[in-house]
Amino acid sequence: MATDNPRAAATEPLRKVMESKQVELNFGPQHPATHGVYRAVLQLDGERVVGIESIIGYLHRGIEKWSEARTYTKCVPVYDRLDYVGAVLNSHGFVNAVEKILGVEVPKRAQYIRVILDELQRIANHLLWLGTHALDLGAMTVLFYALREREVIMDLFESMLGQRLLQNAYPIGGVRLDFPKGWERICRDFVAEFPNRVDEYERLLSENRIWKQRTVGVGVISAEDAVDLGLSGPTLRGSGVYFDVRKAMPYSSYEDFDFEVPLGTNGDVYDRYMVRVREMRQSVRIIQQALDGLPEGELMAKVSRIIRPPAGEVFASVEGTKGQLGFYIVSDGTTNPWRVHVRAPSFVNLQGLETMSIGGLVADVVSNIGSLDIVLGEVDR
Amino acid sequence: MHQTLFYVGRELLKIVILLGVVSFCVAYTVWLERRLLGFFQSRVGPNRVGPAGLIQPIADGVKLMLKEDIIPANARPFLFRIAPMFAIVPAFVGFAIISFAPAWVTNSGKVHPFVISDINLGILFLLAITSLGVFGIILGGWASGSKYPLMGSLRSASQMLAYEIPLTLAVLSVILMAGSFRLSDIVEAQRHVFFIVPLILAFGVYLISAVAETNRAPFDLPEAESELVGGFHTEYSGMRFAFYFLAEYANIILVCCIGTSLFLGGYLIPFFPYQTFGVAHPWLTSILGLLAFGVKAAVFLYFYIWIRATFPRYRYDQLLRIGWMVLLPIALVNIFLVAGIKLFLLR
Repeated sequence: MATDNPRAAATEPLRKVMESKQVELNFGPQHPATHGVYRAVLQLDGERVVGIESIIGYLHRGIEKWSEARTYTKCVPVYDRLDYVGAVLNSHGFVNAVEKILGVEVPKRAQYIRVILDELQRIANHLLWLGTHALDLGAMTVLFYALREREVIMDLFESMLGQRLLQNAYPIGGVRLDFPKGWERICRDFVAEFPNRVDEYERLLSENRIWKQRTVGVGVISAEDAVDLGLSGPTLRGSGVYFDVRKAMPYSSYEDFDFEVPLGTNGDVYDRYMVRVREMRQSVRIIQQALDGLPEGELMAKVSRIIRPPAGEVFASVEGTKGQLGFYIVSDGTTNPWRVHVRAPSFVNLQGLETMSIGGLVADVVSNIGSLDIVLGEVDR
Repeated sequence: MHQTLFYVGRELLKIVILLGVVSFCVAYTVWLERRLLGFFQSRVGPNRVGPAGLIQPIADGVKLMLKEDIIPANARPFLFRIAPMFAIVPAFVGFAIISFAPAWVTNSGKVHPFVISDINLGILFLLAITSLGVFGIILGGWASGSKYPLMGSLRSASQMLAYEIPLTLAVLSVILMAGSFRLSDIVEAQRHVFFIVPLILAFGVYLISAVAETNRAPFDLPEAESELVGGFHTEYSGMRFAFYFLAEYANIILVCCIGTSLFLGGYLIPFFPYQTFGVAHPWLTSILGLLAFGVKAAVFLYFYIWIRATFPRYRYDQLLRIGWMVLLPIALVNIFLVAGIKLFLLR
């Protein structure tokens, strides 16, 4: 891999001269900037990175195997624990795949409610990402501003779903309960106010000289490389590739909503930052449209209490917080899935790290990891 | 004999008082920083231990003293032990030359200066002493026998080198302006106008270099938490860590005090009737001067904490580029400007 990389090839002469002076630095798994138990072994030439090897698996819980011994219904809360800062979307990904193999059509109202919760979760995830990414680069205040808004979303989840972080949001076939009384008003107030808060974060960062010096031109990944490595989500769109599952393969009535897919141009850390910030604004638009157009009707489709999909296989994906979150389920006609495989965007996106980091400095590795927005629960599963 | 004893006793008393006050200020700067950061970040900050969290620094101190003192297996034990002393001693010694208030002349003609040692090369002594502090960081990082501290101390060495020179040049323009190395003379030379007005360039250079010298955000690379874990003090624990911590904050207060003396007129109060009121009530004038000094230094300190809350961290190469390619030329141009002004306009 390293030798195919043009940037690694560029540092090759340097590498030969300085061979004896290279330092191997163990970056993680206990390191404040790796966003979890991720470990990278860096080959350093001074502060310049000439090699990077990812070592993962510290948070492997065997979720995929584990779910083979559980009924479909019992799998849903397990998959919340993949990407534990975007749990609603994980549930959606799983139930979406199961509904597809069952051939169940979710009622329109439930689809809209799912969209609202999904987009709230996306905002919450991007807020946590923004805060921690800024903290990695030394701007500590943004974290607390971001968490202040995330708190409101958590309260909204708690009042509707009973949980704040791992909500077990959707049953197979729809949504469990309607919005509680007053929920819509709080949600509307929040989305009306939220764009001003995004302006606030942007005032601290977007035009900040130091922030731009730390991010513009850092961790560049070209559109071709990004597609070749299978990146998805904001990480891919930062390189200017128009791919969003919500637009490409609409699910849960996403075709009803008018929203833009923000794209970057250079594929650097700054572009990925801008894509996510603008995505938060688009999520607000989607929530407003969904609240305005919320249809009346059933919350649950007709699904038998014991779920026994027909034998066969299915792959369905949703636009997760990190990218294309796909579930591949093989059913043998019993109550338990025969095999579940998760196409985890964090895991795939992490492949881009080497391309981004070689030739940069140690400090750039930190901003690259931050800009990938990985969650180790999803990388290791 | 009696006279000598009086003077020795007085100086000892001053040293004890200054050490006590500086240690107190260091502890409460930490508290102030945490509280202020809390306000900046729409949260509360420490408020549990004592009223408004005022006993928090003491609790932290007790905690650090009771911690186990770990020396890593790979460390060089002797250097590892003495490195924190190298950091903390210069930080405290620097306070010896600062005039905190105008001298108090008693009715019987005795002069009580509010400074421990007003030596005639004060500012040079200060620069020499503060640059010793970096040895604490370099030795500590190297003696830890671990990679992250080593990188932190390497960064620190090049950072100190890059910013010591602009800092010194900025101070040099003040010396040119005042015509003296003695800190009290420099303050007295600002009777008519504070040096921040004619030397605004030097002040800017001083401000930025001082932040870098004290390893504070956005130049806190030697300890960059998110890159090097803790930088040079990663392996330190307990009181040895506390020494580094105290040294950092003592250094911050020190550069605030020096900046106040050099650019903000030290203990001088603008438009204060020194000729009438000052002569009639020398004691009160000293106290007011002390207060003025405190207020100015506190504004400086506030600025430090404020930028920490606002800015992201520079990258290593960018930091060096700013030091060598931006600040150094500005400081050099400033020297020539000041020398020209001094030579042709103020003759």
